[in-house]
Amino acid sequence: MRPLRDPEGAELSHLVNACELEGKHVLEIGCGDGKFTRQYESLPRWVVGIDLDLSDLHEAESNKSSLRSFFIRSKGEQLPFPAQGFDIAIFASSL
Amino acid sequence: MVHALKEAHRILVPHGIMIDVRPLSVDVPLEVVYAGGSESAGIIDMSPCLGLDKAADHAIETVIMERIYKEVKVEYFDFAFYWKTIKGMEEDIEENWKDEVIIPEEVIQRAHMIFKKRHLQTQIRVGNRMKLGVYMK
Repeated sequence: MRPLRDPEGAELSHLVNACELEGKHVLEIGCGDGKFTRQYESLPRWVVGIDLDLSDLHEAESNKSSLRSFFIRSKGEQLPFPAQGFDIAIFASSL
Repeated sequence: MVHALKEAHRILVPHGIMIDVRPLSVDVPLEVVYAGGSESAGIIDMSPCLGLDKAADHAIETVIMERIYKEVKVEYFDFAFYWKTIKGMEEDIEENWKDEVIIPEEVIQRAHMIFKKRHLQTQIRVGNRMKLGVYMK
């Protein structure tokens, strides 16, 4: 049985208060199945979520609600992106 | 971890923001919540992941000491999970958090006793303590 996860929206509200997401380029490191990404993906200009688990990435891709969200298999220690391409990098329970 | 933080630093624009949001291995109560109230069934032992917490904190301290990032702010908050049944919670923990959480048997028994009172809208609640750190490149 899957739990109801953070129905109070505490994680999202703290993230939104912590930084300006609107119009930004965001990288989420350790996005898993995109549960957290889906909460804020409508705000940035685009979001890239990375994770190593292919089944999680497939679920993230299947359930995304924004055309500006992308999910890629990669590890945090070797990011397949050029320098200075993102405004915000989020380690989502991945440190 | 330090390597990943440095890699994140590379892809961030100047003055870009790095956010570290994660649960802490802080013991928390297992609560039975229902319409109009709640009762604690006891404390859940979150200590199995203390080592990971310390390693992550150490990695953050390292990149701050190396002046790769500047700390902007650190906040703490509760992140709650709700299950409709005790069995559902046990199955979920067995499947996903088996090595991260220890729920003493007496806590489970106490939760069953509270459940048997048949309050309306009874659920199990576990509020993890979360840390959200904001750092600037």
